[in-house]
Amino acid sequence: MLRVAGLSLAYDETTPVLEDASLTIEAQSFVSLVGPSGSGKSSLLRAVMGLQRPLSGRIETDLGTSEIGILFQDDALLPWRSAAENVALGLRLRGDSRARAVAEAATWLARLGLGGLDDRYPRALSGGQRKRVALAQVLALKPRLLLMDEPFASLDAITRARVTQDLLTLVEAEHMTVLLVTHDLEEALALSDVVYLLSHGPRARISRRYEVPIPRPRDVVTARTHPAFAPLLEALWRDLSREVAGETAAA
Amino acid sequence: MRRALDRVWLRQLAALIVFLALWEGAGRAGLLNPLYVPRPLAVAAALIELFGSGTIWPHLAATFSAAVAGLVLGLAVGIVLGILAALVPFVAEIVEPFMILLNAVPRVVLAPLFVIWFGIDLGSKIALAFILVAVLIFFTVYTGIRQVDRRLVERVVTLGGGRAALLREVYLPSLVAWILGQLKVAVGFAFTGAIVGEFVAASRGLGYLLSFAQSTYNAALMLALVLIIVAFVLLIFALAGRLERRLLRWRG
Repeated sequence: MLRVAGLSLAYDETTPVLEDASLTIEAQSFVSLVGPSGSGKSSLLRAVMGLQRPLSGRIETDLGTSEIGILFQDDALLPWRSAAENVALGLRLRGDSRARAVAEAATWLARLGLGGLDDRYPRALSGGQRKRVALAQVLALKPRLLLMDEPFASLDAITRARVTQDLLTLVEAEHMTVLLVTHDLEEALALSDVVYLLSHGPRARISRRYEVPIPRPRDVVTARTHPAFAPLLEALWRDLSREVAGETAAA
Repeated sequence: MRRALDRVWLRQLAALIVFLALWEGAGRAGLLNPLYVPRPLAVAAALIELFGSGTIWPHLAATFSAAVAGLVLGLAVGIVLGILAALVPFVAEIVEPFMILLNAVPRVVLAPLFVIWFGIDLGSKIALAFILVAVLIFFTVYTGIRQVDRRLVERVVTLGGGRAALLREVYLPSLVAWILGQLKVAVGFAFTGAIVGEFVAASRGLGYLLSFAQSTYNAALMLALVLIIVAFVLLIFALAGRLERRLLRWRG
């Protein structure tokens, strides 16, 4: 579905933040990228979305740009559009009529537990509700590949767990492929089939790949009680600590 | 009575009435020189005379047309130049230093020059109101467009939007918000421009009447005119406020 080969990325023209990264994402798999701050995780997502030009390397995919959806941490809804209009935006940009797009948006809002809030402006929604609207906005376009950059980092723990579970259920139901960037190792393991660990930047590399053999469909809470979870978390934590220590030593 | 005074506006009204009554009393008792501080009732009489005889209307019309024409032209030119400067670097290079210069000087000092250029009729007043408004709106639009929320732009782009969608979904609504945010200031500027222009040289208008009142030492007429201007600007503020609430509902 998506293959990244020898990819190097930089904020400016000089120092690569990420160097020679290669990874493969199979169709219908859930893949996470974890790693220290400044290891180029977000840049990688932006490059896949075509928002950032790579220094070198290739990004190969059989998907058109319209089949890829992206959700950022600090996602902004259009403040002058209601929840339903925000969700309908992508559909309208694809040529749906306004009426049809708004009707479709309403079903997505209902699916994400926001039924009846269609006419609210973003200002009148809570942080969790805004996140759900942003999620509905992306999911309404039925992307085959969903890219997420710490999408729920700004939410409180309980809201975050609930939104994450709802997302996971939808992803499994729609057979979506997901590439998630996160700082949260437990979240990465609970959600993913494959976790990639990046080394510290600049010139970060993909240092390890872990497979998570927890069966689906999953529950984000009970997945953590699976026998494979604790050893994987320990290994991931140890390897990440080593990367962060390397960063400190280098600095 | 006690309960009635619990309301803020009632207390304020009561304070105003007491103040005016004291003022009136002090005037009647000969404590205030009517040449400098006319009694409130004398000001009221001047107001009634202005409206009763109908002399005020052509002056109001002159000031109002100059202010509105200056406001509309200033908004149009400010918006167009602001957009062009934000989008076309070449235009910014030419226009920005000129606007910074105009912004740095108190623009009312241009009034005498405009009288020479455009005569003592409506033209010079429109020009002054225009230049006050245009510079303000130019900077509002120019800095606004350059500071438009990048996240919104990326959002629309990643949802599949092109230039037209960006303009419609992000830039125009942002533009409306910034301009409405400055609309009250712009209205105030437009009236300042029109009245100062009339004050400098005119044959009609509230500014002309003020200048006439000054030359005849008619303080009551002067205060009456100030009251009219205040009432007029407040009325327009209220209209601008309604427009703002209507178009910026999403701000809640």
